[in-house]
Amino acid sequence: MKSLLLKDLYNISHNAKSMLFILAMIALIIVPTSGAPTYTISCSILCAMMIMTTFTFDEASGWTAYALILPVTRRVVVRAKYAALAVFCTAGSLFGLAVSALVSLCAVGRMTELNSPLVLLAMLPVGWAVAFAMGSMAIPLAYKYGAEHARVLLFAAFMAPAMLVIAVIGVMAVLEVSLSGAAVTALVCASPLAALAWGYVMYRAACRVFEKKEV
Amino acid sequence: MDAILEVKDLTKQYDGFTLDHVSFTVPKGCIMGLVGENGAGKSTTIKAALGLIRPDAGGAAFWGRNLADAPELKEQVGVVFDGLSFYETLTPEKMGNVLRAAYRQWDDGLYKEYMQRFDLPFDKEFKGFSKGMKAKMAIAAALAHRPRFLVLDEATSGLDPVMRDDMLDVFLDFVQDEEHGILMSSHITTDLEKVADYITFIHEGRVLFCKPKDELRYRWGILRCGAAVFGQLDPAEMLAWRREEYQYDVLVPDKEAARRRHKDAVVDDATIDDILLLYVKGEKGK
Repeated sequence: MKSLLLKDLYNISHNAKSMLFILAMIALIIVPTSGAPTYTISCSILCAMMIMTTFTFDEASGWTAYALILPVTRRVVVRAKYAALAVFCTAGSLFGLAVSALVSLCAVGRMTELNSPLVLLAMLPVGWAVAFAMGSMAIPLAYKYGAEHARVLLFAAFMAPAMLVIAVIGVMAVLEVSLSGAAVTALVCASPLAALAWGYVMYRAACRVFEKKEV
Repeated sequence: MDAILEVKDLTKQYDGFTLDHVSFTVPKGCIMGLVGENGAGKSTTIKAALGLIRPDAGGAAFWGRNLADAPELKEQVGVVFDGLSFYETLTPEKMGNVLRAAYRQWDDGLYKEYMQRFDLPFDKEFKGFSKGMKAKMAIAAALAHRPRFLVLDEATSGLDPVMRDDMLDVFLDFVQDEEHGILMSSHITTDLEKVADYITFIHEGRVLFCKPKDELRYRWGILRCGAAVFGQLDPAEMLAWRREEYQYDVLVPDKEAARRRHKDAVVDDATIDDILLLYVKGEKGK
């Protein structure tokens, strides 16, 4: 699995400069308008989506067939993609936190409650969890439909749970139900675990798809 | 005869094409050439044998075992596909790191030796490689983990004649070890005439024959004759035939016997290309 992960990291490192540039540009747009937490989550999601870029690279070079002649099983090939996704999510959320913290430091005195250090730190697991959950869905779709088609389907697939969450928040607001500080903390802490559980379900789905795939 | 690879009744159906009960065996110490026209089923056979596609029936066993059941056997198999399977921004150095992590038997020294021997730069991105360099790179990567069996799918197609000759020497060196073997599909049949011990000819998804190369070279022949001689030929001595503008070309299984029997006809040696052309474009004998 190490070799497969290394190959993806080498491939994606070639795009690192342009990715950093994009993330910096987004920081300038998002942090002043929507706040640092939104930026951390956006950063994590953007980095997670690099998993789709690795699929594009694989398809362009015919790597998948080559991966299957390496002394690994098909399950290991899938597992390596999830490992790469975890690396991308971690890098994205840490980068988001670092930039958010930097911007917040520069804005000392003008810092809103939304950009407080506690909220910024809380966004690290939340950003990671959202990005990992989304990337987890992308992998079986990419195996099934190819990277380019999967990008479109992923948007639709991600919109459904996002709309559900927004609807739940809306209903809670209408009913004037508010979460206690302890409940929010518990949700934040549990979010990576929930994402990992969701990731496992998606990993099993990806394995099933890839077992049947002919390359 | 100990077999390294045994392909048995391999069958795979697609819309408009069927790989139909393909069977052959690659013995130890031998090079098996896989020939056939484009779309005949050579690559499908190789992919099915390697487990990249699922056959509808039959299967392939390397040292008696299926690769899907024993992935550790892949340590012993080196594969070269037509074209390089590495993304263009990688370099041989990075790819060496990737493959070192994949294979327990990876030999850095041997990899560097092949890179030098093939005159390949270690730190240049693959996008700057010519087609020939990519072919050499794929061969170096396949050999550097010291496999016991090589699967070469059009591996020499991007190489110039000089480099192809060098590569054929590499392959011949490889099978000097009696435990080694090669399955080699190629359109360049002259390469197979130089190195192959056996030839398996696939046509429209079926194996037409699997013969020792020397039998094809030294026993089979092309009888060239007019209509009168053609009319007297025993159907049993015609493997395939084709009507040319002024003569009939007939593939015969015993050229010496044909020379004795048909003194008015010319009987030439048959190359693999001749055989392929007669089978594909001509009529089959009975």
